[in-house]
Amino acid sequence: MSGRPSHSALGLSSAVLLAAAALALVDRHAARPWRARIPALRKPTLRGKVTDATAAVRAARRMNRAAGLLAGSVLADSAVEHYRGSFHNKAMIAPLASAIFSLAVSAHGNADKRPVAHRARDVVYSGAFFTGLLGAGFHLFNVSKRPGGFCWQNLFYGAPLLAPAALILSGATGFLSERVRDTLPGRSPTIAGIPAGRAVAAATALGLIGTMGEAGLLHFRGAYHNPFMYAPVSIPPVAAVLIGHAALGRARERRWVTRLFLRLSAAMGFAGVGFHIFGVARNMGGWRNWSQNLLNGPPIPAPPSFTGLALAGLAALGLMEDHPDD
Amino acid sequence: MTDRYPGYDVMAKRWTPSWNEQTRRVVDQRLAVLREPRFFSGAEWRTLNAVCARIMPQPKDRPPVPLPAYVDEKLHMRRLDGYRYAQLPPQDVAWRRGLAALDDESRAVHGAAFHTLASDQQDTLLGRMQRGELTSVAWGDMPCQLFFEHRVIPDITHAYYAHPLAWNEIGFGGPASPRGYVRMGLDRRDPWEAAADRGV
Amino acid sequence: MSTRDEARAAPRAINGRAPDVFRRGEWVPMREHAEEEEVDFVVVGTGAGGAPLIARLAESGFSVVGMDAGPYFRPLEDFASDEREQEQLYWLDERICDGANPIVMGGKNSGQAVGGSTVHFAMVSLRFRPEWFKSRSALGYGADWPLDWREMWGYYQIAEQALSISGPVRYPWGPRRPRYPYRAHELNGAAELLARGAEALGMKWTATPLATVSAPHGRSPPCVYRGFCRFGCSTNAKQSQLVTFIPRALAAGAEIRDLAMVGRIEVGANGRVSGVHYHRDGRWRFQKARNVVVAGYAIETPRLLLASATDRYRQGLANSSGLVGKNLMTQSNQAVFGRMAQEVRWYKGPPSLAITEHWNYEDRKEFFGGYCWMAQGPLPVEWVTIQTSSRGLWGQALRDAMEHYIHQVGLKMVGEMLPDERNRVTLADEKDQYGLPIARITYSWGENDKALIQHALGQMQMSLEAVGATDIFRQEDDTNHLAGTARMGSDPSSSVVNADCRTWDIPNLWVCDGSVFPTTGGVNPSLTITSIALRTADRICALAARGEL
Repeated sequence: MSGRPSHSALGLSSAVLLAAAALALVDRHAARPWRARIPALRKPTLRGKVTDATAAVRAARRMNRAAGLLAGSVLADSAVEHYRGSFHNKAMIAPLASAIFSLAVSAHGNADKRPVAHRARDVVYSGAFFTGLLGAGFHLFNVSKRPGGFCWQNLFYGAPLLAPAALILSGATGFLSERVRDTLPGRSPTIAGIPAGRAVAAATALGLIGTMGEAGLLHFRGAYHNPFMYAPVSIPPVAAVLIGHAALGRARERRWVTRLFLRLSAAMGFAGVGFHIFGVARNMGGWRNWSQNLLNGPPIPAPPSFTGLALAGLAALGLMEDHPDD
Repeated sequence: MTDRYPGYDVMAKRWTPSWNEQTRRVVDQRLAVLREPRFFSGAEWRTLNAVCARIMPQPKDRPPVPLPAYVDEKLHMRRLDGYRYAQLPPQDVAWRRGLAALDDESRAVHGAAFHTLASDQQDTLLGRMQRGELTSVAWGDMPCQLFFEHRVIPDITHAYYAHPLAWNEIGFGGPASPRGYVRMGLDRRDPWEAAADRGV
Repeated sequence: MSTRDEARAAPRAINGRAPDVFRRGEWVPMREHAEEEEVDFVVVGTGAGGAPLIARLAESGFSVVGMDAGPYFRPLEDFASDEREQEQLYWLDERICDGANPIVMGGKNSGQAVGGSTVHFAMVSLRFRPEWFKSRSALGYGADWPLDWREMWGYYQIAEQALSISGPVRYPWGPRRPRYPYRAHELNGAAELLARGAEALGMKWTATPLATVSAPHGRSPPCVYRGFCRFGCSTNAKQSQLVTFIPRALAAGAEIRDLAMVGRIEVGANGRVSGVHYHRDGRWRFQKARNVVVAGYAIETPRLLLASATDRYRQGLANSSGLVGKNLMTQSNQAVFGRMAQEVRWYKGPPSLAITEHWNYEDRKEFFGGYCWMAQGPLPVEWVTIQTSSRGLWGQALRDAMEHYIHQVGLKMVGEMLPDERNRVTLADEKDQYGLPIARITYSWGENDKALIQHALGQMQMSLEAVGATDIFRQEDDTNHLAGTARMGSDPSSSVVNADCRTWDIPNLWVCDGSVFPTTGGVNPSLTITSIALRTADRICALAARGEL
C-alpha cells in the first residue's frame, strides 16, 4: 500500500496522442473542413498511384518480420518470467506456445511471396492477439488480489500489466500484414476501411507508448541508476509522436525524421540487450550465478520489443508511400 | 523418524554458487570438531553426553551430531556470549558446577550416576532442573533453572542447529552466497531449496 | 590462517593503508597521524554515530582519527554464510546483567567491528515521528529533545541519500518526505502475511525502508535476498557504515585504527580532555587530541566515561548531573509466531520487508509511547532460541516443533520503553582482558512498558489469526536496541550533553551515538543516530568557524 501510482503514465500517453493529432491539424490545408483535414478519415480513393501487388507483399513481409521479432521477444521474456513464476498456473504456458506459433508463421509469411492471405497465419495471429488479451486479464487479476492492490509495489513486483501487450501487438501486426497482403490487384490495402499504412502506423504509436510505459516502470524500479536507462523513455516517445503524426497526416511526405527516430528505437532495442547483459554481470556472482541473476537481473529479452515495433512503423511508412491516399 | 525433505542435502550445494570459499572452510572446521574433551573431566563428560542425548535426541539411523564436543569446544576456546546474568558464575564455572550438581541429585534420588539412568529418569531430573526444583548443596548460589535456561539449553541446541544435518531436517536453505534466492512468495521454491514430501 | 582470522589477529589499518572493503585482498591508501601529533578529533567508535561524524569532519578539513575495538573486515572474503561463525560481529566480552528484566546482550544490540553494529543490523531505516522530539510537551511522557523535528527532517534526508535507502514510493505515516533514493524490495512470504494481516485489521502497512540497495549502486550489487543480513552482508548490498561513510572518511583523509580498545580518556590540568589511552597490537598507547568524541553506544560510552574518572571528576567524566549511565533504555522486541498451511520459507530476503507503524501514529491507547511491528525471518539458531526460551521446549518436543520451520510466520515489535533512572550502566568489580572494569547493566520494565508490550502482543496475535495462522505462541521476553545513558537536553542539571552532543562539563568532550537519546521512540534508532551525527558535524564546523571549539 505504498502509495498509488499517479496517473502520469496515462497522462503521458494521452499527451503523446494529442500531440500527434495537433501536429496533424497544424497543416497547410487549414481552409478545408476538419474531416477532410485528417486524411485517415477520408475515403480511400483509387485516384492515387496504384501499384502492383508486389509492393503490398513486400510491406506485408516486413510486417511479418516485425510480428516475428515481437513474438520472439515475448517467447524469451515470458519463458524466463513464467519459469521464475514456476508455471504455478497452467495457463502460464499459453504465451510461450502462442509466441512459438507466431514466430513460425512469421517466418512462413516472410518466405511467402504470394499476394494472398494464409488461413493458418490468420488463425495463429488472431490466436496470439487473444492470448495476449487474456494474459493482460490474468495479470490484472494477479495484481488486484495482492495486498495493496494497484499500488507501486505491486506494479513493480506483481505480474507486469503491460507485458502481454507485446503478444497482442505481435498478433495485431501479423493479422494486419495478412490484410495488406490480401489486396486485390490495382487496389490500395485497407484495414476496416482505413488505409493499411495509417492503421499500422497508429498501432505502432500505441505499441511504442505501452512498451515505453513498461520499460519506464521497471527502470523506475531500478531507480534509473544508470543514465542510459532514460533512453527507452526518451527516444520511443518521440518516435511514437512522429509515427502517430504520420498516421493522421499527409501520405506523400518523406518523413525522414520519423524514420530516423524509428531506426533509433530499433537500434536501442538491440543495444538494450547489451546493457541488460552487462546488468546481469554486475549482479552479485555475475554470470557464474546465472541461475539467480538471469531471473533477478534486468530482462535480457525485453528490449527487442522496441525493435519489433520500430520495424512495424517503418513498414507503415513504406505502405503509405506506396499507396498514397491523398 | 519421518524424512520431510527426502533427498535434500545442504552439503550437496557445496560446490554451487550457494556456497563461497569462506563458508566451505567454516563448515569444514565445524564438521572436523575434536571428539575428545579438552575442557571437561571424564565424569563431567559422561554426564554431559547423557544430558545432550536427552536435550536433543537424535535419530538412530545416522551418526549423531557430536553435541558434547561442541559444548567442550566452546568452553575450551573460551567463546563468550557477550553477557552473563548476575546470578550465574562465568560459563566454565557454571558448567562444571551444574554437571556435578546434576550427578549429585541423581545419586541422591536414584543412587546412581546420571548417565546410567533410564531416559525417563533423566528427563524427570532435567525437567525438575528447568522448573528450579533441584536443591542439592552442590548448586551453591547458582539457581538451577538459570543454569538450565542460559547454559544447558543454548549451548546444546545452538550447536545442533548450526549443523548441516539439522538444516536438512528442517528444510533450511543453508549457506547462500553469492547466490541467494529468487522466488520469494508464499508456496514458492527455488530449484536449489528443499522440496517437501507432500505425502508427509 | 583465513582472512577473517587475520582481521582479528592483528590490526589491518596500518602502514598508510586500510582494507578495501569492495575488493578481495586489496587496500586503499590511508593518511596516518603520529601519536604525539595533537589531532583535531579522536572519535571512539565507528558505527552509526561515529562513522558519519568521522567522514563529515574529515571532509570539512579536520584531522580525525577513528578508533574501533573491533576488526576491519572485507565482507566479500571475510563473511561466511553462517549464523554461528558470524557471531564474531557482536560484542562478546563479558557484561553482567541484572535487574528484574535483565537485558540479554551480545547479539543484535551490540557490535564490535569497524562499522559497528551496522555491519549486522537489519537495515531498517525509519524516521522518528515528529512529536517524539517533544515527547514531554507534546505527548506527556519522557523528556523533550533539544532538537527541532523540521531540522532533523533535513538531516534524515541527507542520511537516506548517503545510505541509498530502498523504500516505498510514498511512506504512509508522518509528514511528507522526499522520495527514497532506491525503490522498495519485493516482499517475501512473511512480509505478504504482515500486509494481509494489517489489511484485515484496517491498518496501513508498507514495504520497509531498508539500507540495502534494490539496484546497483557504485560497487554495491543489488541485494540477492540471501537472508543472512543480520550476520553480515557478504555481497556489500547492505549500506552499512563499513561500506558507506568509512570509505568516505578515508578518502577525505581520516585515519581509522582497528582493534584499538580505548580504555581511558585523559584529562589535562586545565580540566579539558587531552587524548585517549588505547590498547592496540599488544600494548597501551596514547593519542593526543584537541577533542574527543565518544561514540561507543549506550553501554561502552558510559563505561568509558565512568572508567575515566579522575580526582577532579570523581564520578566520571561529564557526570556533574549524575546521569552518565542512567536512563538506559532498550526497546521491547516481543513477538508472536504461528504456523501457516503454506510454505513461507522466511529465511529468504531481508528479515523485515514489511512494517506497520499504525500504533506509532495512533494515540488512542491506554499507555505512553508507540510501537511498530515487522515481518520476521529468524535463521535456525535464532529460531531454536525462540522455541526454547518462549515455550520451554527441549527433547523430542523441540525436534518436532522445529520441523515446521518453513511454515512458520511471525511478527516482531519494536516498542518504546520509557526512560527511568533506575535502569542504568555501572562499573562492576570484575575486570576484562584489558584490566578494565566490565559493565554492569541493570534493567527492569516499568508498568507502562508492560502495558505497551501486552497491547502489542494482542494486536500482533490478531493479525496472525486474521491470516489463518495456527499454533500461535508469544515470545514475551526479548529486547533489542539501546539508548539513553548520556542524554541530551537543554539544562546541564538534567542532561549530559547539549543539542550539539557536546558535554556540558568538558567543552572538548563530545558524545555522538544512541546514548544521547532522551527518549527512544517506537522505531529502530540507527537512522536517527546517523542523522544526529550529521547534524553534530555541521554544528562543530559552525562552532569552529566562530572560534568556539
